[in-house]
Amino acid sequence: MPFLSHGSYRIRYELDGPANAPAYVLVNGLTQYAELWAAYREALVARQFRVATFDLLGQGTSDKPALFINQDDQVTALDLLIGELGDGPVFLSGISFGGLIALRYAITHGKRLSGLVPMSCFAELSPQLLLLGNAMRTGLILGGTSYLQDLLLPMNLSDQWLKPLLDKLDSVKRQGWLVNDVYALQNLMESFLDFKPLTSQLASIGVPTMILNGEFDFLTPRALHETLRIHIPNSSLVIIPRAYHAFTLEKPALAADLLARFAEDVIAGRWQGNKAVWIAPEEAGGALAPFPAGYDHLRAIPAQGTNP
Amino acid sequence: MSEFFGPLDSECRVPPPQQTRVAAFLISAHGALARQFAFALPMKLESAWQTELNAQYHREVEIVSVLLRATTWVPDLALGYMAVSWEMVWFPTPAEAIPDRTLAMGAGLATLAHAVHASIRPAALLPVEANADDPFVMALRRIEFESGRLMQAQILFLKGPELAPFRNAVSAALERRHAQIGKLWADALEGVGITIPRAE
Repeated sequence: MPFLSHGSYRIRYELDGPANAPAYVLVNGLTQYAELWAAYREALVARQFRVATFDLLGQGTSDKPALFINQDDQVTALDLLIGELGDGPVFLSGISFGGLIALRYAITHGKRLSGLVPMSCFAELSPQLLLLGNAMRTGLILGGTSYLQDLLLPMNLSDQWLKPLLDKLDSVKRQGWLVNDVYALQNLMESFLDFKPLTSQLASIGVPTMILNGEFDFLTPRALHETLRIHIPNSSLVIIPRAYHAFTLEKPALAADLLARFAEDVIAGRWQGNKAVWIAPEEAGGALAPFPAGYDHLRAIPAQGTNP
Repeated sequence: MSEFFGPLDSECRVPPPQQTRVAAFLISAHGALARQFAFALPMKLESAWQTELNAQYHREVEIVSVLLRATTWVPDLALGYMAVSWEMVWFPTPAEAIPDRTLAMGAGLATLAHAVHASIRPAALLPVEANADDPFVMALRRIEFESGRLMQAQILFLKGPELAPFRNAVSAALERRHAQIGKLWADALEGVGITIPRAE
């Protein structure tokens, strides 16, 4: 298990796939750990990408600073990892908190990137997100990691995903509970106490950027992704049908396919952002469709109803 | 060696030698905290924060009490030597680089309590099949859950305005305490066939 060193801290990482191939770097969400990208490793390596995953400071097997975790330190850790990848093209993607770290990296180190994919992401704390974040922190403090998981599962995953797992949710939660410590999660959450919006800096992100947002994302709804689409010059927004905040867990085949296609299009010179809004296919390999003209993409996807 | 307790007996209870070692460690750590909180606790509360100190003292005593009663004790020859080494680590130590002696002692106690509450996770040693109705199993779950709450007082104090001018010193002291106590915990477990990931 290889580790990078950042000061006295160690960051656990994993590299898979051919050494000279274009690389995808995947950044975890708040309560996640690197193993949750296993399906992405497999799918992207099969498409001839190198894949880098890691545990952020405070997560999983990386060191857990005891009192303070600065988001700048996460960006430095990410830079160390990207430094391990040589000089080839690097595509960076992150989910939720990891998407925010990816945005920060793209703002400060954008020249090193060939493409950026923020997923279920935000550049500012809307009142809803701020209050939800506060409530989640209080939940963690009063009820521990398990209670935080209990809040996040129904908020971020669909009924279709949850229903067959209802009688074995403890086993679904167990690994996350084992590898994440209350104090470390709390430190990650409290790295937002002095958070300043990134919105004014988004225009400096010059790389092709595909923004992915679940149609039914409650935690970080469309308006937060719209901020990214409007301010990042070479961007497009792709809405994942019937998806919630944690669509990377629920629809790994589709999300990995979108990641691969984006990078292949960028490398081939086919990709154009144009701040367009797209609807992703329901299944991997399907065609993307432009969001219907004349409809408001800040609402749900307009779809023909079916009679019961 | 395993990351979890075991092998469990036919009723899915933790083997008594593992119960004894873990309970002895936890009683030593939480007992030391109880003593130090008791020493700091005045007979008459003068400030609002002392109500939290009172709560911390009683929770620590509760942890010791529940372990004394829930553990299936067996002789453990290594305990004599180990207990001495543990007790030396709990000894009150002022945090370095804080000139105010009272504040330094308070920070020292808070770093010890934070490290015990944050980095010692006894319930994480329980395998999935551990008997949820067993008192020792329930005690470990309760201790880990309560530790997460008790730790909040230490976090508030260590991140608070009084210690803000000494942020680097406090962080360094806390990291040292975590490393020190994490090593003690790992060493104690290793002797009863349990290995946990540890910082090198």
